[in-house]
Amino acid sequence: MPDMVALSRQQPQERQFNPYSENGGTILAISGADFSVIAGDTRQSEGYSIQTRYAPKVFRLTDKAVLAVNGFAADGNMFVKQVRQRLEWYRHAHAKDMPLRAIARLIQTMLYARRFFPYYVYNILGGIEDDGSGAVYSFDPVGSYERESCRAAGAAQSLVQPFLDNQIYFKNQVPQPGMTHPKHLPLGTVGDGLEMFVVLAKGSPLYGLENFDGVQEMTSTHEGERIFVVRRNLKRD
Amino acid sequence: MFLTRSEYDRGVNTFSPEGRLFQVEYAIEAIKLGSTTVGVKTDEGVVLGVEKRVQSPLIESSSIEKIMEIDDHLGCAMSGLTADARTMIDHARVTAQNHSFTYDERIKVESVTQAVCDLALRFGESVHDEDAMMSRPFGVALLIAGIDELGPQLYHTDPSGTFVRYQAKAIGSGSEAAQAELQDKWHSKMTLKEAQTLTLRILKQVMEEKLDRHNVQLAQVTKEKGFEILDETSLKAIIDEM
Amino acid sequence: MNSLTNRFSTTGPLSELKRAQALVENEEFSDSAWGSEAGFGSLAKGVPNFTVPSVPDPSAFLRLHTDDHADPNCRIKIQHGTTTLAFRFQGGVIVAVDSRATAGSYVASGTVKKVIEINPYLLGTMAGGAADCQYWETYLGIHCRLHELRNHERISVSAASKYLSNLVYSYKGMGLSMGTMICGWDKTGPAVFYVDSDGTRLKGDLFSVGSGSTFAYGVLDQGYRWDLTDEEAQELGRRSIYCCRTPRCLLWLTLEDGWKFIGNYDISKLHYDGPGETPGAGYGYDVRIERSTAAPVAVQA
Repeated sequence: MPDMVALSRQQPQERQFNPYSENGGTILAISGADFSVIAGDTRQSEGYSIQTRYAPKVFRLTDKAVLAVNGFAADGNMFVKQVRQRLEWYRHAHAKDMPLRAIARLIQTMLYARRFFPYYVYNILGGIEDDGSGAVYSFDPVGSYERESCRAAGAAQSLVQPFLDNQIYFKNQVPQPGMTHPKHLPLGTVGDGLEMFVVLAKGSPLYGLENFDGVQEMTSTHEGERIFVVRRNLKRD
Repeated sequence: MFLTRSEYDRGVNTFSPEGRLFQVEYAIEAIKLGSTTVGVKTDEGVVLGVEKRVQSPLIESSSIEKIMEIDDHLGCAMSGLTADARTMIDHARVTAQNHSFTYDERIKVESVTQAVCDLALRFGESVHDEDAMMSRPFGVALLIAGIDELGPQLYHTDPSGTFVRYQAKAIGSGSEAAQAELQDKWHSKMTLKEAQTLTLRILKQVMEEKLDRHNVQLAQVTKEKGFEILDETSLKAIIDEM
Repeated sequence: MNSLTNRFSTTGPLSELKRAQALVENEEFSDSAWGSEAGFGSLAKGVPNFTVPSVPDPSAFLRLHTDDHADPNCRIKIQHGTTTLAFRFQGGVIVAVDSRATAGSYVASGTVKKVIEINPYLLGTMAGGAADCQYWETYLGIHCRLHELRNHERISVSAASKYLSNLVYSYKGMGLSMGTMICGWDKTGPAVFYVDSDGTRLKGDLFSVGSGSTFAYGVLDQGYRWDLTDEEAQELGRRSIYCCRTPRCLLWLTLEDGWKFIGNYDISKLHYDGPGETPGAGYGYDVRIERSTAAPVAVQA
């Protein structure tokens, strides 16, 4: 420890400290009455080079919460690691799994603790609330957050978000005469991604998910919330 | 050389050869000098009752505060050195508020009790190079009542930092008689109303003075209204009905 | 003697070492992160603590990476709020906001809630950094609650705003961005205080903060009177936000027994149909001209 302080005095200092990089990719999440879908691509790139074709950025936190992290992969992985550690501490201290809205607030305080040295991450949290409803929370890098029905973030945010606004919030759509827009989108019409997590509320039907190509269930019991993951290959360009 | 008890009852951090911490034991004794405090749990909520010892007719009895709010869903009654209790309750309040800030939810009754008990063991302890923050154990016992997702709960904490959940518990000078009475009268189907009268009846039995609305205080935690200290009019109504 | 001076000195290698040590220790791994206090994290001791990069000028570092005003190509784009306004009148305090948040030039959200419900009788608005406002006003909320528990009475609007102002002032120059109105009702009646991250704290009758504030002030100033009726006051709030060209307008009213939410209005509906959703009764340009010539009092329900 004394060495560290002494060293920082003698050695030359980097004036343009830049600890950030951009690793591309897109994440998105959609929630309905009793489900939540969280998806992200799995490519990690820097500039023109693809570092890997499989570096997941969607992480299962608990049986009812999934976190998608986009931006700088190193920050993102570290952040998820720390969130998971806090979830475990909470479980030991309070003898229960952290509810979704508590995870959302926790993520805010964790991001804000780095207000002066931010994580370069855009988080989207999806899952099932304690009341059984599907929920999506979106965050900015320093922790401002909001519960929404759908949200996209990352490289293709400006392409995906307007599409979601149109399809989920029915923006710029006029309902047929005598009809109204549905309040919640049914699961059957939600599209696919490269890696997609589906969280279903307790007791909710499977919506034909069992016949889906390449689906894999992540939960061991059929009693509580159920998490499914769908993995797909996209075009390898 | 075997040392006698008197040489081990000074230091708060020294065990006696029989494995006892005398200062902590003496602190537990201090509670038995305190006024009687009763807590009763029912399925509808928890009732807390305390005796206020009004030693002089010149005392403003409304200024004696022996039941305190920790948060909307948590209340606390004390017996022993009430000044010590304030430190503990302030810690409980800060913990409860920190929890709601970090997790956007109400803290569990057990968690807040645990936090209070952690503080109870901080005596003689120094953090880094700072001086110890407390030189002796707290001389107070608490009954912490609250409601969370597990329903109504009542916890008892003592100066050793031990906490136990109770269906009904009495502490303070009249606690032995009161606890025996609780054991006799408490049943699991009890309504909140029955719990209120039981609490007052027991206090009446163990109090030296005649019980009236000035020398007792009653509080309750219910699902609907959370923590509330009953005002003198509703207290009088319950006493009259008794 | 030497050890004594070392212990209390704030400069010199030893204290620097201590500070570095504290930095390393505090980082997510303080004692209180364990046990029953588990997980208050940065809040374990009741005061938040923050990680600061070990560079000569931390605020320059923060500016370099997050200030999208100075450099639109900066990497980390933080969400910002746009228009908020609040004014007090005989019937309480009207708080009106739009619902747009921007990150750089991108409209990050059209549904953001820019009124932070500090507690059932205090409201705070959000302009500037969204996270700064959300975080510190929530933090203010728990302190107002503690004040209430300790003193058996509600905190005054003045005290609450001063608490916030002192809080952000202690971070002055480090890059916080916050412009907020703290609104409520206390023993002195309805009250509005403007607090910002520079440390300004002003008591006043009407304020508007954010990029649309100049437009809002235009409408607000000409229609404001202390003795507005409730309906007139609400209408003034809606019209002021309408002039800022935003998609939605949200309206709150603070009363003696706490605030209440009035409504969430679609601005394009207000433009054509007005708040009563009567076709043709909207705030549209020509309609507004006709009205202001017809009645000297421009604002009518």
